[in-house]
Amino acid sequence: MTDNLRLNELCYSTLSSNNPNTYDTYIKLGGYETWKNILLNKLSKQEIIDTVIDSGLRGRGGAGFSTGRKWSFINQDSTDTKYLVCNADESEPGTCKDRDILRYNPHALIEGMLIASYAIGAETAYCYLRGEFIDDVYTSFKNALKDAYDNKLVGKNILKSDINIDIHDLIGAGAYIVGEETAMLESIEGKKGFPRYKPPFPALKGLFGCPTIINNVETLASVPKILDNGSNWFKSVGTEASPGFKCFSVSGHVNKPGNYEIPLGTSFETLLDLAGGMKNGKNLKAVIPGGSSVPVLPGDIMMKTNMDYESIANAGSLLGSGAVIVMDETTNMVEVIHRIARFYYSESCGQCTPCREGTGWMYKVIDKIIKGHGTLDDIKTLESIPKMISGSTICALGDAAAMPVESFINHYRHEFLSYIKKENKVENSNAKSNLYNNKEFVLHKK
Amino acid sequence: MYENNNYNISSEIITKINKWLQKFPDGKKKPAIIYSLHLIQKENKYIKPEHVEAIAEYLSLNKMDVHEVASFYSMFETEKIGKHTISVCTNVSCMLNGSDEILNHLEKKLKIKVGESTDMFFLKDERECLAACGGAPMMQVDHKYYENLNKEKIDKIIEDIEND
Repeated sequence: MTDNLRLNELCYSTLSSNNPNTYDTYIKLGGYETWKNILLNKLSKQEIIDTVIDSGLRGRGGAGFSTGRKWSFINQDSTDTKYLVCNADESEPGTCKDRDILRYNPHALIEGMLIASYAIGAETAYCYLRGEFIDDVYTSFKNALKDAYDNKLVGKNILKSDINIDIHDLIGAGAYIVGEETAMLESIEGKKGFPRYKPPFPALKGLFGCPTIINNVETLASVPKILDNGSNWFKSVGTEASPGFKCFSVSGHVNKPGNYEIPLGTSFETLLDLAGGMKNGKNLKAVIPGGSSVPVLPGDIMMKTNMDYESIANAGSLLGSGAVIVMDETTNMVEVIHRIARFYYSESCGQCTPCREGTGWMYKVIDKIIKGHGTLDDIKTLESIPKMISGSTICALGDAAAMPVESFINHYRHEFLSYIKKENKVENSNAKSNLYNNKEFVLHKK
Repeated sequence: MYENNNYNISSEIITKINKWLQKFPDGKKKPAIIYSLHLIQKENKYIKPEHVEAIAEYLSLNKMDVHEVASFYSMFETEKIGKHTISVCTNVSCMLNGSDEILNHLEKKLKIKVGESTDMFFLKDERECLAACGGAPMMQVDHKYYENLNKEKIDKIIEDIEND
């Protein structure tokens, strides 16, 4: 089934080489030709933006918004300083695709950042990596950036043109919320990561109060080849509404977990096959198809679903970041949502009351159920909290915490009920650990 | 050397902070807070109030500006911890692959609970996914990745660090 599948042709195209992350490898594979061509032929900004719009490339961080349209929101006539920010704060649970781009194909990202900066008229671009990448991932990106500077592809008067674009590496310090684009701007400005009210949107008023575009690593790394091969090349892959390739991080109960870059619209069944099928010959029970923020789907529905934005939405979930978490028949769904709820409670920045209180409330109710003290009313409570959070917060973390809880109760209510009927309790589970200790954990770590 | 009454930021760190500041528009000092805290934590293992004061003074900022960053981001430790920080990912993908057993094994081996520290090891209560889901279960030791863990691998990693 996977024999004729096109694999790792875009963001992971260097993986077939011996030293995937080097400048030489990237050049050998035709790298930086797009950027040189833009400078040499003085391609207009509009031409580039139009090609990216026409290609149908959608933001790969999770929101799936048209990349070219996002770029077009920048007022080119404005004399304000403009910024490009690359969001490399990869932290949506289940997602590990950007880390591999940063480690194995950093030059595609740098070239994409140069093209995007040029298209929006930015002379300064920042790549913000999550703090936990501070060791090898950050080093890989920094080394690549140095090579690009040494070869005069970045900096002042690039390749003797009048184009100046500086790219700076930045490092975070551990906060899921900083992946939200306006929280990232706050963090770059040296503040705690509190998302901003929108409007004004960053394209109008972003970093240091200036027009700013924020794009995900995979999105930017996709740009050079789209411009090089043309929008029709990209559109010839995938579906009409979801064209192109997408990196999927497959994890959980599969034989060959990892990242797979495949055409959008490929069936989940094929992706599962690619990831080596189910571990230990077990049956598929459930899948979280786009990172822990999206609704869970039962396995039988997923086996009939294709991996593109529309198909997954029609099935009742979201493609999100492309993090596919596979769960087999032995999985205890209450434990899974307990862990997810704990994460959002821990990572809520606390700025908005519905999220600050709601995430803690959901976690505590699930914790009570899993410890065998739950009642039927607790399930009703648990169903009512997401409705109070969704749509009432500045950023999407509230919704991200609410959606999974709703979906887990919706599809696996009987498992919650088995805890309430005392048929199941944590002592019987295979995940005994001190994480279930009754110690109260405070909203923020300190 | 930059002198504060209680803590002197070393000239190496000052050089690095000054270089970092060049990434930002003239006069913007706050964007160097996170990086400065990283540098000082690396040297001192954890952030003390005098470190916060020294950074604020050097960058001409309010102490509170630095403190709120130090207390917001989970990588900054403000209490005394051991020499090496171990973060076991216990988020969904790792949990499905037995991260809790890995954590239990470490707790027994190091004779501490998650969130506690010995002189040598700090077993951090890591709640974030560390973006290595394809290698679950995984952990970081001082932010170096160790993937596809099992008890034998853990024993070897700990042994190697202890003998280093």
